[in-house]
Amino acid sequence: MKKYIIILWLMVLVLTAGCAKTETAGGQKTIRIAEQYGIAYAPVQIMKAQGLLEKNCPGIVISWEQMNNTAAIREAMVADRLDAGFMAIPPFLIGWDNGMDWKIATGLSSVPTGLVTKTSVNSLAELGEKDRIAVPQPGSVQHILLAMACDRDFGNPQKLDNQLVTLSHPDGMNALLSGGDVTAHFTATPYLEKELATPGFHQILSGNEAFGGEFSFIVGVTTKKLHDQNPEVYAAFNQSVGEAITFINDHPQEAAGILSEAYDLPEAEVLAYLTAADTEYSQTVKGIQTFSDFMLKTGYLKKSLENPGTIIWEQTDYED
Amino acid sequence: MKIKAIFLKPYAKYIWIILMLVAWEVTAKLAPVSPLAFPSLELILAALIDSVINGDILMQMAFSLGLILIGLGIGVVLAFLMSFLSVVSPVFASFTDTCVSIFHPLPGIALLPLIILWIGTGSMAILFVIVHSVLWPMILNMTAGFKAIPEVYKKIGMNYEFNTLQSIIRIFVPASLSFLIAGLKISWARGWRAAISAEMIFGASGGIGGIGWYIFNKRVFMDTAGVYAGILMIIAVGIFVEDVVFGKLEKNTIKKWGVA
Amino acid sequence: MKNVDVNPIIEICAVNKSYEGRPVLADINLAIRPGELICVIGASGCGKSTLLNLIGGFVKADRGEIRLNGRLVEKPCRQCIMVFQEFDQLFTWQTVRHNIEFPLKNAPERLSHQEIRSRADHYLAMVKLTDFGDYYPNQLSGGMKQRTALARALALSPQLLLMDEPFGSLDAQTKKELQETLLEIRQETRATTVFVTHDIREALYLADRIVVLKAGAVAAVIKNQTRNTDETRVAEITALLSP
Repeated sequence: MKKYIIILWLMVLVLTAGCAKTETAGGQKTIRIAEQYGIAYAPVQIMKAQGLLEKNCPGIVISWEQMNNTAAIREAMVADRLDAGFMAIPPFLIGWDNGMDWKIATGLSSVPTGLVTKTSVNSLAELGEKDRIAVPQPGSVQHILLAMACDRDFGNPQKLDNQLVTLSHPDGMNALLSGGDVTAHFTATPYLEKELATPGFHQILSGNEAFGGEFSFIVGVTTKKLHDQNPEVYAAFNQSVGEAITFINDHPQEAAGILSEAYDLPEAEVLAYLTAADTEYSQTVKGIQTFSDFMLKTGYLKKSLENPGTIIWEQTDYED
Repeated sequence: MKIKAIFLKPYAKYIWIILMLVAWEVTAKLAPVSPLAFPSLELILAALIDSVINGDILMQMAFSLGLILIGLGIGVVLAFLMSFLSVVSPVFASFTDTCVSIFHPLPGIALLPLIILWIGTGSMAILFVIVHSVLWPMILNMTAGFKAIPEVYKKIGMNYEFNTLQSIIRIFVPASLSFLIAGLKISWARGWRAAISAEMIFGASGGIGGIGWYIFNKRVFMDTAGVYAGILMIIAVGIFVEDVVFGKLEKNTIKKWGVA
Repeated sequence: MKNVDVNPIIEICAVNKSYEGRPVLADINLAIRPGELICVIGASGCGKSTLLNLIGGFVKADRGEIRLNGRLVEKPCRQCIMVFQEFDQLFTWQTVRHNIEFPLKNAPERLSHQEIRSRADHYLAMVKLTDFGDYYPNQLSGGMKQRTALARALALSPQLLLMDEPFGSLDAQTKKELQETLLEIRQETRATTVFVTHDIREALYLADRIVVLKAGAVAAVIKNQTRNTDETRVAEITALLSP
């Protein structure tokens, strides 16, 4: 019998070892940041390229983690393998709703986003049962924006939910342009511009129309652990994002040069995206209350947000 | 009874499962792990029951299984046709061999970006991935089974004046049934995985989507207990198919005939 | 020869067969009358199995022709059923009864269900396997498997039964029992049989005539009315076989 107890113990050890935590950020000046690509994440790239964090917090050890989707970032933060990441407001709210200990540290960007369809479709109402709508994933900002528009137009936020197809931005673009069953794509810069430049496709809904105003497309989020146990690093992170944003706004030409190298895109194209009329880089967080009220009403959230201040770190600007 | 004897019984699998569940619960309760990563069994069970009562999980399961069944059917028929033609014609046999060596190692998921371009993202695309997963291992097993048929069976078929098709259906197929069942098992496992992966990538395709879509949805809305509930369903179906469906099939055929 | 007036059921005329340039059978001539039990005997590699396969239509002669009831044999047919030495000639997925019924169920002439059943019963009894109809082949001994194979062949009432060392893999006692059964069946059915063996005593015990094959040619055709298995007779044939 003793033998079997030992075996059982070993199994428990193996199971728990698999979930054991990596060295935490507490004490030392280290930060683990999710690195993402795209025009909406431009300040992150600038921050990295210009070594702003290193400058603002000498001696810091930064580990840039490649992440390609919001769910993965959230899971990495739950597993304590990541301290900071960038995402849209709805996925952040879903994490908060499920008890994740994190808050928004900074706004990052607002970029053009919208629903592109074939020119034969002129409004949401014209999307039939057979039409498939590609979104990055359910619960993404694109999905919530679409639900907001459906709520306003038809009084039914779930009207198009059964027609969603989950595709990454590039796959979604390919699916739309190839003329298959995907007839609509809710996407953002730069895929939005590429699709609109293709004959036969047009935008029937913009993000701002759906939302009913302006909102932060991407925000920066950090764990409570980083904020509480490593205030120096947290402050440097926030400051660096701010400096990167200021740099892009003040020196778009130079910023485009840096980004064109990182993204392997023509400089002129990047510059056009950076300086587009509805692209804005700002640390001010916009739209949290509207998103959270809508998601609560439609059942995507269970918790009610009394005051945006409770999910935003102090000293971070917000407006609603 | 001696403990060792218990683990040699056919139900040992279920004892292990119970032990694992206990280890799980102990870890979830006592270890310093976040319930977002490691929910307790009650939470998982509650999520499962909730999905059964209020959600579509049973429908989604049926949807996935239905797709697999159709895919298996198409795959088996195609595999039979190609194996049959390979028996009849050595030229076609070399063509089949080439196809198998090209496509067999290729995971269906790797083809997804192309499939999106060719046939879009609907159930057809998932079906395509399933058929791809089923077809090649099935052909491999069918042709291997046909090759392993004793020479006397072929002579007996000729003696009864059967043509090639009659020989294959009346003699070759039952004679190579152990290969065919092995092929079906591999095909089922591969098709099942492919279907779930494809659903997780494509999302809802026919309205409610399948069990893969269920898990994906739970993940993006951070319902970890729901993710585990979906995984439990997949495991349960896997064990059911392996033990009950294939177990019965083998018991009534190759085990009974003594050729397993 | 007596009975010259009776038409032979099998006529083998000047048959030659070689494999990859190596002659296996040279200029074989043989006529087999209805009801006869012919044993073809010879050392291994002498071409006796090839001869059987030629008669059955499983292989084609290079030269010469074989006629079954006057018609040229070109491919295997249901009138001319082969019983093999291999135990795995039975269909493992069918019971003894279903093995016997199998060729009847798949017959071009549609037999009634009852007809099939009663024929299977009849031949099951003939090979003394009445109680084993529901057994699967893997549950049977070697001797029982060969009995089943024999019954399956007989069920079609073939004009000619070809037996390729069917008892070659059995122990002496079982072999003896099967030989007796075969003789009893012959009494009852008068089935024409070509029986290949390398066992001289078996040939002496079973055959009406013994065809001695040596190096691909007929060395002798011996009448065997006495069925005398004395050592002198065995020695006589052994002498014919030895080079």
